[in-house]
Parts: sequence; structure tokens; C-alpha cells
Amino acid sequence: MATVSLPLGDAPSAPRPRLRVSDYLRWSVDHKIIGVQYMVTAFFFFIVGGALAMLIRWELLTPTMDVVANGSQYNTLFSVHGLVMIFLWIIPMMAGFGNYLVPLMLGAKDMAFPWLNAFAFWLIPPAGVLMIASWLVGPPEAGWTQYPPLSTLFSGDGQTLAALSVHLLGISSILGAINFIVTILNMRPEGMSIWQIPLFCWAILATSIIIVMATPFLAGALTLLILDRIAGTTFFDATRGGDVLLWQNVFWFYSHPAVYIMVLPGMGILSDVLSVHSRKPIFGYKMIALSSMAIAIVGFTVWAHHMFTSIQPELRIPFMITSMIIAVPTGIKIFSWLGTLWGGKIRFTTAMLFSLGFLSMFVIGGITGVMLAMVPFNIHVHDTYFVVAHLHFVLFGGAVFAIYSGVYHWFPKITGRMLDERWGRLHFVLTYIGFFFTFFPMHFAGMLGMPRRVAVYMPEFQGLNTVASLGSFVLGISTFILVYNAIASLRAGKLAGANPWRALTLEWATSSPPPATNFIGDPVLFDDPYGFGTPAASDYLNAIDRRFGAPEPGAPAAPRPAAPAAPQPAVGD
Amino acid sequence: MTSNQLGSRTIFIIIIAGVALILGGLVISQVTPLIFPVQASAESLQIDNLFRIALVIGGAIFLLVQGLLIYSIVRFRARAGDTSDGINLHGNATLEIVWTAIPAVIVLVLTVLSYQVWVSIQSVKDDEMTVKVTGARFAWSFAYEVPDPRDTSQKLTVNSKELHTYVGRPMKLEMVTQDVIHSFWVPAFRMKQDVMPGRTTTVRFTPIQTEETYPVRYPIKCAELCGSGHGEMVNWLVVHKDEADYMAWFNQQLDLVLNPPEDPVARGRQVLASGAYPCAGCHVLADLGWAGLTGPSLNGVGDRAATVRASATGLSPEEYLDRSIYYPNEYIVPGFGAGLMPQFQANDPQGANYMSLDDHFAIVAYLCTQTSTGESACDLDRLRSLVFGNS
Repeated sequence: MATVSLPLGDAPSAPRPRLRVSDYLRWSVDHKIIGVQYMVTAFFFFIVGGALAMLIRWELLTPTMDVVANGSQYNTLFSVHGLVMIFLWIIPMMAGFGNYLVPLMLGAKDMAFPWLNAFAFWLIPPAGVLMIASWLVGPPEAGWTQYPPLSTLFSGDGQTLAALSVHLLGISSILGAINFIVTILNMRPEGMSIWQIPLFCWAILATSIIIVMATPFLAGALTLLILDRIAGTTFFDATRGGDVLLWQNVFWFYSHPAVYIMVLPGMGILSDVLSVHSRKPIFGYKMIALSSMAIAIVGFTVWAHHMFTSIQPELRIPFMITSMIIAVPTGIKIFSWLGTLWGGKIRFTTAMLFSLGFLSMFVIGGITGVMLAMVPFNIHVHDTYFVVAHLHFVLFGGAVFAIYSGVYHWFPKITGRMLDERWGRLHFVLTYIGFFFTFFPMHFAGMLGMPRRVAVYMPEFQGLNTVASLGSFVLGISTFILVYNAIASLRAGKLAGANPWRALTLEWATSSPPPATNFIGDPVLFDDPYGFGTPAASDYLNAIDRRFGAPEPGAPAAPRPAAPAAPQPAVGD
Repeated sequence: MTSNQLGSRTIFIIIIAGVALILGGLVISQVTPLIFPVQASAESLQIDNLFRIALVIGGAIFLLVQGLLIYSIVRFRARAGDTSDGINLHGNATLEIVWTAIPAVIVLVLTVLSYQVWVSIQSVKDDEMTVKVTGARFAWSFAYEVPDPRDTSQKLTVNSKELHTYVGRPMKLEMVTQDVIHSFWVPAFRMKQDVMPGRTTTVRFTPIQTEETYPVRYPIKCAELCGSGHGEMVNWLVVHKDEADYMAWFNQQLDLVLNPPEDPVARGRQVLASGAYPCAGCHVLADLGWAGLTGPSLNGVGDRAATVRASATGLSPEEYLDRSIYYPNEYIVPGFGAGLMPQFQANDPQGANYMSLDDHFAIVAYLCTQTSTGESACDLDRLRSLVFGNS
């Protein structure tokens, strides 16, 4: 089914673009620079949020309060940890991937609105400053969920700053999402239908639709919260005509879809990585694409399962039903990925290991998600460590594993150099083991009776908590292996060539890193982004190597087939 | 795409694998009793059973996915030197329909089972004992309302900081909060319900016979973040063996209410011990077994009122303790936060944080005796005139 026009035109001698650090420190409308700005900024906040997590786990080594001075300090730790990880790490990181990759994957020169794109990014640093300042002004101690009246009548002034910070990040998120939707729908090259875009783009499209529809609700809720705190309004003060459930309803109307905002792009990364590194077409392209859309839509109907112990009992069953339904499209994706592996030629690159790790860990989060949808069981484990375990299996075992996978997969494209695979494998092994032992025991702690968000707990839970803390320290250390690997590889990694993994999507059909305009001349499209296993695909990939250069010998890239008997000289050489 | 005819060998493999998965799920589900607390309510039996079913199914799915994953990794790994691609297969309509339909059926089954359990545990039982519950930062308190034996047209309230009940008696709790959202949770009963400002919420459960010696004590925890003392917000639920044992406890409490001690110090101690006010959630007080961490310790508070606090505030000990209850933010003990303690008032019996003048007087009188010698640090007559005025 795949056809391609060969040879791929001539190669004007463009020097390999050099990356200069100074380009990344100033305003730029180049989506590639903005993408990296997003990713590096987000990664910085990942370290910040991770350091807070280390303090949390250190405190929880013992049942008594010993690391922090009082409960308020502990509450601030996990409140800021949650806010930073969600709003300053995962969401901007995914936006970074989207920014870098979507125009390249579509053969476009940039995003639809480059200036808006830069503006959306530059909202993040001030928001990050506000978030960190919130700590200094007076601790926000109402959790990332910020339930009133704790957040309105009791928490410190930092709560207002944190809310303003999330407000800014929400604006950034909406602007970015509008840009993605317009870009994906309008900037595809001639001959690429919506059913030929990479699944990562489908995921970003679905995510952006959720962001545009859901984030304004968060903005509304935060506005009311800030007014209650600083202007004397009483939207959430029941003693003066307000209602505390109003916040919960509006907040979760955003924040449940926000789970998919964080996970769907990861699923998009997975679809690309699994197909490329198992050398096999993605299994059920349309079902994966449509299931993203189904999740985006059904995701708007399930919010109140976060409120099973607070909403009126009569409303719990309807939300159980919708929450159950959303398991079906998620299941479709998992089985489609397994189908992709079946019959492939799986190459265990670090990118692939993290995607396989995602598959094996995310399924646990999926199963516990269905359990949590069951109202009677939810009543028991609501607001316990079972929920903490579940959400980390989805957001770390899911989103963060996917981010790692994407970093190893696209680092060569972004920098022109390969990450070291031995360090990569060590990073994977420590992350996988550390992750599992951090979060799996939490299921049991929660079921046995340990509430979440407590600095002191009954001594019987110390064993489980010690395992979790030790696991988390391994997880913390593993992060720095990636940092070291990235810095070392930037300086001395093997040159990647244009297409080290022999992938068929368009971002690989240009030099690494791509030139300022992404492509010299029109990109040559292979009409099936996952059409592995055909002679046409092989020919196309060989032509890419000849046209843009193959990886340096010894680079940990996909092996090349033996040179054809009579290599066609590319015109213009 | 390809032929959909299944060979008999394929069918055989599917059946064997299906049976193996279900058996695997059953094996995994055996951990159920190990990962729940003791089953101490009728509801816990139903909920654990529901979880066990979900774990059989979830365990089977877990084994299926991990099994396929490991099998694929081993069987379809690229061999060294193999530069070819995998098969050019884009999908299989039959398979895709199957793995959409089977999860749909599974969640349908779990939904129906959950609904049945939910209806059962929510249902109104005959002969429910109603107890009023108040959540406050950072303690629960319980109030039993009974007809006043002296005048049965009047109601009498018996306060307790423990929730007492007995085996087999259906309970209905009517719950409110004094401040923020709390969540009433008894892990051994599997029941949880938030308490929210502006609403009265209810939770129902029925204690059942367990193998323990009675009376049994189960922790009641707060499951919704409520501030600095959230982790310490633990009270106890006491299950008596039968109604007679329960009534023995209750009549003792009733007697204390009907015949309060004349001595204000003894009465103050009794009021505080009853949990009518949530002081235990934040303060340490060895005499009553309190272990809160949010507020200053009350051990030896009488001594300090007469010494360091007197020099810091310029108040006499009885003035200092008196004002500390009504105006807690006037003087904050170094190292503690302002605005945390409820501001008690004696004007509006229906309002929040109401504390009658009698209770107030007795509590301060009792706190004055928290000294190293046990002698009161205060002048009780002055205290009486401070509290009740000069009339």
C-alpha cells in the first residue's frame, strides 16, 4: 500500500545546525527552541517536586513527626509537590514534546501561531516563581485539590499565590492547546489525511480539545477561590450562603479530564515508540486514534467519582457507570499495543524499555482505577494511600515513564546526538524497581487503614512505609542518571544521523537537529507513518540515510540492512 | 484481513489460557483477607467480597497483560544481526471487537454487583440507634440524645469522645462539622462519609461479632485533609458485647450528666473528658490521655499561667486562662500558630463554638489545677466573678 517517490531530491549542502545555549534563554518563536524551553523548564520543576517527595518519604520513614516541625509544614510539602508535579512538570513537559514534534511530524515549518506559542511558554517561568514564592509567604496547606473552607478560611497567604500561579499555567495551557488544534487540523502537508498523522498528533489533538474545554472551569473555580480569600466573597463559605461542594464539582470537572491531559500525550508517545522499536505497524491505528477521542469525551462525565464520599448518595451510581465505561477505550489501547508487539522484531532500546515499563505498570493503575470506580469499595479506600498508589501508577507509571521513553526516543532528533544506552538501561532498571517498591506497597497501606496526607500514622504501617521510602530514594537517585547521561551525551554522544531508529514519520526525514525551517525544500512523505515490513518502507528509510546521513558507526541506533548491491547515488552529491 | 477461521488448536490454546488466567485470578484473590483490617461490620463482609470478585477479574487481566507482554518480549525479540522488520500487519477487526466487548462485559458485571452492594449497605435498617457526630479540628465528638429521665418531655444529651455501640445494633450517624471538611472513617467497618459545612450527612453500619474479646476498640480516623493536626485526628469506636454491657456504660455516663460533681474542678475534668469540646485534638494533657500536637501542651498549664504567661501578658492566672478560651488569638504561645483554635462564645446556644458559662468556669477551674503540686494556681472566687460577672 505504501508508495514513495525516490530518490528524495537533491541535498543542498546545509551545515549541521549548531545548538547555542543562548538561543534557549531568550524569546524565540521557533517551535523547536520553545519545545526545548518547555522541556528543560519542566524538568527543573520535576527535580523541585521530586525533592519535596524525598522529604515526604523521609518524614514517613517513622510513624512520628520528626523531619518536619509540625503538621502545617508537612501539608505544605505534599501540597506544593502535587501542584508542581501536575502543573509545572507533566503538563508543560507534554506541551514541550508537542511543540517540538507536531510541526515536524506534519512537515510544517512551525506552529500555526508562533508568537502565541512563545507567549504561552513565557507564562510558565513567572508562574513557577509564584508557586515557589507561595511557600515563603505563608504555607499553602490545603493539598493540590485546595478544598475550601480549609483553603479559604485557614490556609496561609501562599494559597492565593499558588492559585494565581495555577491560573497563569491554565492560560498558558489553553493558548498552547488552541495552537495545537489549529496546527494539526490545518498544517498537514499535501497528501496527508487526518488518518495518516502520527498517533502522537492524535493524542495531542485529543488532549488539546480537553484543555480548551476543561481548563476554563479551573480558571472559574480559582477565580472564586481567590475572591473568597482576598475580596471577602463567600462562594464557598457555608455559614454565609456559599457551598463547599461547588468547588469540588467545578474543580474535578477540570481535574479529572486533567488526568487525561497528562496521560493521553504519553499514550501517543507510546504508540510511536512501540511501533518503531518493534519494527511493526501499530495495531489498530483507527481504534487507538478514536479511543483517544472517546476518552476525551467520556472523560467529561466522570468527575464526581472523586467525590464519592461527599456528593449526595443518589448521585454516586450514575458516576460509577460513566467511570466504568471509560475503562473500555483505555483497554483498547493496551491491547492494541500488545498487538503491535506481536510478530514484531523487538529492539530493547532504552526508549522501548520505558514504553514496555509503561505497559506493565499502567495496567495496574487501570485495574485499580476500575476498583476505585466501584462505589462500595471506593467508600473504604477514598482518600487513603490506595488512591495515592493508584494515581502514581497512572501519572508516574504512565505519564512519566512515557516522558522518559520519549526523551530517549527523540533526544537524537533534538540534539543530533544519541543518549548513552548503558546509562539508559541503568536508569530504566532503577526507575522501574524504585517506582514499583515506592508505590505498590501503598495499595496495602491504604486498604489496611492509612489515610493520605498524614505525617503521623499508626505504627503498624511502618513496614510498608519503610519499603516505600527506600524505593523512593532509589527513584530519586535514578533521575540524576538521566541528567548525567543527557549532559554527557550532549557533549560526546555518538552522532545520530537523521533517522537513527529508522522511523517513518516526518520528523525523521530531516537532519538532526533540524534546520531553522525544519525542512530544506518540501519534505518527502511516506504515506503510512507505521508501514514497517514492506520493501517500500525499507527503500524510503535507505533513501533517508543517503540523503541526510546515517548514524555514526557505533551509535546505538537501529541496525541498517546490508548495503544494497548498487547504491543509487543521490543527485547533487 | 486474514482468515478468521480458528483452528482447533487455537481454540484449545484459548481455552487452556482462559482457565489458567481465571485460576491465577482466584489465587491472587486469596490475599484479600490479608490486605483488609478485621471485618467488624455487616458492610465489611459485603464490601470485601465485592473486592475479592474484582481482584479475581483484575488479577486475571493483570496476568493476561503481563503474560502477553513477557511472551512477546521473549518470542519476538530481534535476534542479533537481524535487520529485517516485523510483519506488515495493521490490525484484525475480530480481535479488536473482542477486546472492546470483553472489557465492556466485565465492567458491566462489576457495575451491577457494586450497585447491589451499595443498595444493601445504604438501606435504612430497623431499630437504628442514632448518634450525632461532630467533626472539629482535630477531634471527633459524639452526642447521644435521650429523653430526660427527670422529665421525659425534655431531651438530654450525653457527650462522649468515644463512639459506643454493641454487636448487632444498626447505627445511624448524623454528622456535622464545626469548621472545615472532615471525613468519618472506620477502617474496620469499611465505611466513610465526609462531613461538610452547611450540611448534615449520614452514615450507617452494623457492628458484627468478631473473634476478639469485648469491648473492642476500633480507630475512627479523619480521611479528609483538615489542617495541621489531620494525622492525629483519631478517636475510638468501642463495640460492647451486647446491649446489657452497652447500657452499663451508658447509664454510667447518664449518671454523670444527671448528677454532675459539685466541685467545679471535678466537673471541668468531666466535661473535658466527655469530648464535648474538641480540645483533645490539639493539646497534650497527660491527666486525660490527650496527645494532640497542634496546640501548646496543657500539662502544667496552671504553673505557666502563674509564671511565664503572667509576665508575658500581665494577667493573673485565672484571667489568662479565662481569656485564652474566649479570645485564643490575644496571646499566642511562642512556636504555635494563630487562628487555629476555635473562638468559643457563650452568647448563642445555637451558634458555632458555643460553650456555656458553667462549662467555661468548670474547665478553667480544672486547668488551674494542672500544676506540679496539684494545687490550683488560681483564685476561684475571682474566677467566678470574672466568668459570671459581679451579680
